[in-house]
Amino acid sequence: MLSQVFHDIEKKIIASLKDNPKQTPENLEKSTKLSPDQIRRGIEWLKLKELANVDESKTSIVSLGKNGKESLEKGLPERRLLDLLKTKSKLSDLQKELGPVFGPAMGLARKNNWVEATADNVTLKNPPDVLPGEKSLKQIGEQKLSVEQLEKDDLSGLLRRPYFVVEEVLKAKEISLTDSAKSLNLDASSGGIDVEAAVPATNVARTHPLKDTIDEIREIFVTLGFSEIYGNMTQSSFWNFDALFTPQDHPARELQDTFYLDGISAKKIATPEQIKKVSESHKKNWRYQWDINEARKMVLRTHTTCVTIKHLAEAKPDEARVFSLGRVFRNEKVSYKHLVEFNQIEGVVVGKDANLRNLMGIQREFYKRIGITKIKFWPTFFPYTEPSLQTMVYNDRLGKWVELFGMGIFRPEVTKPLGITKHVLAWGGGIERIAMLKYGLDDVREFYNNNLNWLRSATKCQ
Amino acid sequence: MPVVELSYSSLQKLIGKASKKQIADSLPFLGLDIESEDKDLVRIEYSPNRPDYSTDFGIALGMQGLLGIKTGAVKLKIKKSKQYSISVKPDVAKVRPFVTGIVAKNGKIDDKTIKQLMAMQEDLHFGIGRKRKKSSIGIHDLDKIQFPLVYTTSDRKHKFTPLNSGKELSIDEILKTTEVGEDYGDLLANSSKMPLILDANKEIVSFPPIINAAVTTVTTKTKNLFVEVTGINKDDAEDMLSVVATILQSAGFSLESVQISGAKNSTPKLAERKMTVSPSLINQTLGLNLNTSKIISSLKKSRLDASAKGKNIVCVIPAYRFDIFGPMDLVEEVALGYGIQNLEPTLSPSQTLGQTNPVSLQLKSLSQTMIGLGYLEALNSSLTSIRVLYEMANREPKTIISVRDSKSQEHTILRDSILPGLLENLSKNIHESYPQKLFETGTVFSSGNPVSEKTSFSGISAHQDANFTEIKSVLQSALKTGFDLEIKTKTTEQPSFEKGHCADVIINGKTIGVIGEINSKIIENYKIRVPVVGFEISLSESILKSL
Repeated sequence: MLSQVFHDIEKKIIASLKDNPKQTPENLEKSTKLSPDQIRRGIEWLKLKELANVDESKTSIVSLGKNGKESLEKGLPERRLLDLLKTKSKLSDLQKELGPVFGPAMGLARKNNWVEATADNVTLKNPPDVLPGEKSLKQIGEQKLSVEQLEKDDLSGLLRRPYFVVEEVLKAKEISLTDSAKSLNLDASSGGIDVEAAVPATNVARTHPLKDTIDEIREIFVTLGFSEIYGNMTQSSFWNFDALFTPQDHPARELQDTFYLDGISAKKIATPEQIKKVSESHKKNWRYQWDINEARKMVLRTHTTCVTIKHLAEAKPDEARVFSLGRVFRNEKVSYKHLVEFNQIEGVVVGKDANLRNLMGIQREFYKRIGITKIKFWPTFFPYTEPSLQTMVYNDRLGKWVELFGMGIFRPEVTKPLGITKHVLAWGGGIERIAMLKYGLDDVREFYNNNLNWLRSATKCQ
Repeated sequence: MPVVELSYSSLQKLIGKASKKQIADSLPFLGLDIESEDKDLVRIEYSPNRPDYSTDFGIALGMQGLLGIKTGAVKLKIKKSKQYSISVKPDVAKVRPFVTGIVAKNGKIDDKTIKQLMAMQEDLHFGIGRKRKKSSIGIHDLDKIQFPLVYTTSDRKHKFTPLNSGKELSIDEILKTTEVGEDYGDLLANSSKMPLILDANKEIVSFPPIINAAVTTVTTKTKNLFVEVTGINKDDAEDMLSVVATILQSAGFSLESVQISGAKNSTPKLAERKMTVSPSLINQTLGLNLNTSKIISSLKKSRLDASAKGKNIVCVIPAYRFDIFGPMDLVEEVALGYGIQNLEPTLSPSQTLGQTNPVSLQLKSLSQTMIGLGYLEALNSSLTSIRVLYEMANREPKTIISVRDSKSQEHTILRDSILPGLLENLSKNIHESYPQKLFETGTVFSSGNPVSEKTSFSGISAHQDANFTEIKSVLQSALKTGFDLEIKTKTTEQPSFEKGHCADVIINGKTIGVIGEINSKIIENYKIRVPVVGFEISLSESILKSL
């Protein structure tokens, strides 16, 4: 099916060809007042739509020669003779007046029986109003014309006479309409556009792909009954480590894994009761001298767990589902799989139903909602949960199981010193890993490169 | 996480009655992650709380339990011997007060076993030994040592030939010229006296926690071993010894005791502990309804002993399982023995109503407005560099909050502004098509105690016709649409902005940020070829409302 929609250029060319069925591109320029480039493109489009034929043809082009131009100005020699005869008849006068053209003019006039001549006199006999050749002469005028635009008989006389008409053979493109184009009704298509044509890409303004994943995950947590809590990225070691039963000499607390703020120790870290109980739990279970100055050292949080545990220690709820989401930091070498700063989400559940199978059930539901159904659980170890599990999800693209969120039940050594008496389920992990699955990325750094080409084109694949 | 390399075939031999596939499939359910596999070789990541998994002997013990081949606690059989003793002198109290040890006889030691024991020793040193600070091990050829031994101190001039060295060195030279000396010498820095274990001939056996003597080096010809552990805490030293003893027994050695006395030291008992757990805690925590016998069989699969006592269950925990602090740890042992794969996830309906933080909602709404205005959302790190934050942005630092020992030069200080990061983003995109319009909302930090964390909002527009009117109009629309706030602008000067094209942004009479054309010097330095306009305002004080 042809689309009945034409560009303005196409319309003008079709209209012109309807009036004048075979034209050179140059002619079309004149008749349509389009630029050579527009004509070239228009012809190309019409050809593709099978609406125009382009014939490479040889065309005879005629223009006036020296004698032709003189005749255009003064009339053909025979016309001048016939005009003179209206007032004069003496042969010698005529000869004098017309000069060298008298002979040929006289010859033609006599041959055509327009005059009668004696030895001295010439008289008009029965001349036609328009002489042969006169029409062509006028038509050609100052132009170059294809012979086909002229009357063949009328031109032929001129062609035989010297220097009247110059003829040249040109190779030319000749454009004509195909039969289907001849029957087109241009008016019916007016107002429409070519809806099938290719269009340029528009640069999109959008939410950052990682932010989009974060929003999606936040929404899932909320719909699972969790409320969002906020907390600082800068935290005392007390909440980031001590409150979570990580001993002060634990390797994770070393400079090479954790970012410590240079020269900043927190003045106030917790209530005296909390400090006392937490330090006692450390001394008893880990057998070392707990140092409050170590707990005062400020760090960039290494997980969002410090935010949730602080919340639980303050609120001590009997029943709760809360989550915290945000940036966490690790002193790592940046690589395709490690960033110094990434996003983590952590949810906790307090209540009657807080048991391991329910925790696994929440995980399964969460993964289902982000589109991951192939999951399994493996035991693992975290210093602050017991039992502890990790979720493994199957990555179709990589063809293997990859580790996602970790989960567990807060150890009594964590909850008891802070006055939390109920079981607390905790689970969470890095969001970039999920976003990488969603956007088919192999290099996590892409999320923070702000490469416009990627931001403008990134598409979700899962 | 520490990693141990071992082979399936030797695991199979140790476990007995298990196929390679069975072993590979079960490893994760012991809490062991397969890091990589190459035919028979497998690299396994284990948790630092289970140092017994640092050798194939330990993993085989766990696997036998899980597969039901051998269950119940591993019993240490230690023959009481009076042949071996260490007497401790009081002068060690100030530097490294405790020593403990054991003898292991008639084992087969090949290259592979030596390699495994060395790897185990290093993992123990690093993990529970806290880089040898808390406790450290020396493993020696028993037959090169004349008992009884003395644990005492000496000055730094004392000479002996240390392991891996062809010549005699003084203690001072060992600390200054050898790799181990440099790495661990600090542990002794507070003392002029150096701890030493000497044998009956006053020959040095060990210089803990630094190095053994060369003479007691364990080789493939060694049949009998002497293991000593020193440390700053008796219990920690005995914990470490219990792991080594358990592994050596599993490797086929017969254990014999070493008598230790003097200066608050005593012979190690490496005794089992008893701990009571109630079935209701187990079932409540796991969401199961297991009867007593199923609980007991699950605990036995986790290589513990267990028996019913009234309504409760009493567990017998071998010494090497010092990772078990209390009943909740036993709950996990039940879960592991029961099989994590046998726990069916359940979903109980939420008793609570979920709620997005109102601040998140407001930020989301602001983002949507900016996107509607044609701006693309960017994300930059909070940790950035002096170059991006100050040098390139032509800004003067006030108080810089920096982190210690960052491994990345690009991430050394916390940002106090978002705009410089967006300028850096433009510079990385000069080959992309214009207009380029970016915005970001995020946390900015300023010094204080506690450190101040505020939410900031910045936008930037770069193209041939970018101008002040355009960016003011964008900010005006964003704040009007999202927050029904009117902004005013008042001439100001800021080094990041072009003089005469820069204004304070004022809401309700309060300056909350700055807007204007970016200083042409910055644009030039970043090789950006179009004008850039931008703004940054603080959202925390007057704009975002929390509940």
